[in-house]
Amino acid sequence: MLEILIKTIKTGCQTTKYPDVPEAAPEGFRGMPQLLSDKCTFCGECVRVCPPGVITITEKNNEKTLALSYCGCIFCARCEEVCQSDAVKLTQEYELASLTKEDLVTIIRRKL
Amino acid sequence: MNAIVESITKEYNNHILEVSTSQNETYLTVKKEIIMKMCDHLYHHLDIPLVCIFATDERKEEGSFKIHYVFSVDREDAFIILRIDIDGKNPRYPSITNKVAAANWYEREIQDMFGLIPVGHPDPRRLMNFEDWPAGVHPLRKDFDIKTKPPRIKGEYAYRRVEGEGVYEIPVGPVHAGVIEPGHFRFSVAGEPIINLEIRHFYTHKGVEKLFENISLDKAVFLAERISGDNSVAHAVAFCQAMEKIAGMDIPPRAKHIRTILLELERIYNHIGDIAGIATDVAFSFGAAHANKLKEDVLQLNERITGSRLLRGMNTIGGVRRDIGSKKDEILVSLSVIQRDFRKLMGLLFSTPSLMDRIETTGRIYNDIAKGLHVVGPVGRASGIDRDTRRDHPYAAYREFNFKVPVSKAGDVHARTIIRGDEVCESIALIEQALWSLPEGEIRIKADDIPDGNALGYCEAPRGETIYWIRTCGNKIERCKVRDPSFCNWLSIEYAVLDNIVPDFPIINKSLSLSYSGNDM
Ligand code: SF4
Ligand code: SF4
Repeated sequence: MLEILIKTIKTGCQTTKYPDVPEAAPEGFRGMPQLLSDKCTFCGECVRVCPPGVITITEKNNEKTLALSYCGCIFCARCEEVCQSDAVKLTQEYELASLTKEDLVTIIRRKL
Repeated sequence: MNAIVESITKEYNNHILEVSTSQNETYLTVKKEIIMKMCDHLYHHLDIPLVCIFATDERKEEGSFKIHYVFSVDREDAFIILRIDIDGKNPRYPSITNKVAAANWYEREIQDMFGLIPVGHPDPRRLMNFEDWPAGVHPLRKDFDIKTKPPRIKGEYAYRRVEGEGVYEIPVGPVHAGVIEPGHFRFSVAGEPIINLEIRHFYTHKGVEKLFENISLDKAVFLAERISGDNSVAHAVAFCQAMEKIAGMDIPPRAKHIRTILLELERIYNHIGDIAGIATDVAFSFGAAHANKLKEDVLQLNERITGSRLLRGMNTIGGVRRDIGSKKDEILVSLSVIQRDFRKLMGLLFSTPSLMDRIETTGRIYNDIAKGLHVVGPVGRASGIDRDTRRDHPYAAYREFNFKVPVSKAGDVHARTIIRGDEVCESIALIEQALWSLPEGEIRIKADDIPDGNALGYCEAPRGETIYWIRTCGNKIERCKVRDPSFCNWLSIEYAVLDNIVPDFPIINKSLSLSYSGNDM
């Protein structure tokens, strides 16, 4: 019993104040992927390799659209790996809870 | 190896149709009438464990189904695979379950997935296709399209009944109190002691093996990673190794070391988590809190070195995707702190009478039961089965390192806890060795095209021996059989609980650390 008491005091408080105090993910964390519209060439390579198929590319009215949904993203970083233009990057962002599905899609467009 | 094959070819000469060898796998095509005798001979007389049974639909190429019985010759790092042909028009073959109990679920699985009937099976009920699934529809047959949605029909499942004066039935699940996966447990009790348990699973069968056949090679490893969430690395490594074996690829030594480190990190956090679970279930919340804290420390270490708490996205066919060499010091420092705390915690747990009272002699699995059911992993080792894929079929960099395989004969919850504790310390020592001897060089080689072929991939997951058998054709997966350790171990719970009291069931269950997800593929 005494041993348990000593260990408890020695260990001290282990919980953190998250989410009141934000906690940054470590460097190299595989979080929310981000699309950079100025770099993207709309080559479609990321669409081809994405395992759950959550990146889509469409062309309509002379405009190309690349959409990435976080709903099914598995944060594998395949898209980042194949992109020749560094136009998709996994970020350290991990707070992805949302009330609507629309919030979980990121879209970039380019006029042809 | 040759000696064993020679002796069986001599003995069964008239019944063997073909012998072929590729690397450490010897395939013997035999007549189906003799299969029970041969399996019995290998399993009981030569003491070679049957590690997997699976079927393939080769009606298009060869005009028949085939069933493969994989035996693992541990002493010689080899596999013997017996193969029988089954005519599609008369899809019946002799069941071996009456002689080799370990074949039970495999044969029922093949019956559901391929429609091949094991004649003489003692329990021919459905296993994975539930009663609302129409008869004659078998998802793993090649002519079953993955998009098919069969109509639901009415049907009923017959449970075994235990009757007698004062016998009560307690049904538990498939929906449980906590956030865990579904499974049904039907206890029959006479007073407090359990006199029978029947389990029913596969509520979340996802058709993973069919999915593999419809996915491109580069994406398949991510599917393997998600079969059993906390055994991600093991599944990914077993998958990649099978592919690399088919391609005759030797991955760079640095990648082998990194794989070893990842596999051991996975084992550490799983085992500590299981110990936390056992402490929780005996209401020793102090021990549970400390064990959970240690587990969290390992998960955060994982996140810092790989970017993923569960070490996902690291393995690929041809090596690993991220180098962790630069994090060497960080890993060593963190692990030495974790090891110090872990040892203290184990000392404390085992000197707490209220915990020991609950775990000693509880949930005993006797050695003969464990052998008969082919129980694998730490649970098997706690029941005296001295097997470990890392030592018996060395892969990744295990050949280069020294490690002990703890074994105990007691077979109770206490023994399983000790084995896990010892394995954690061995794992930490393994990681240290791998880091100290980390070779320089590449971490992956290009693997775009995989030739046609088939091979076994295997790995010792935290839960035990994990086996993949993959056949590729035209840069696609033709068949991928996955055998998760839980598929072997689940049935052992029916024996472990006998004569124990109902309140001890959660501890026994936890100590067996069974995965629903890996089982209900
Ligand atoms: S993000 Fe990269 S890979 Fe994807 S379309 Fe744009 S340029 Fe191509
Ligand atoms: S991280 Fe993986 S799953 Fe997510 S968008 Fe990129 S390729 Fe697809």
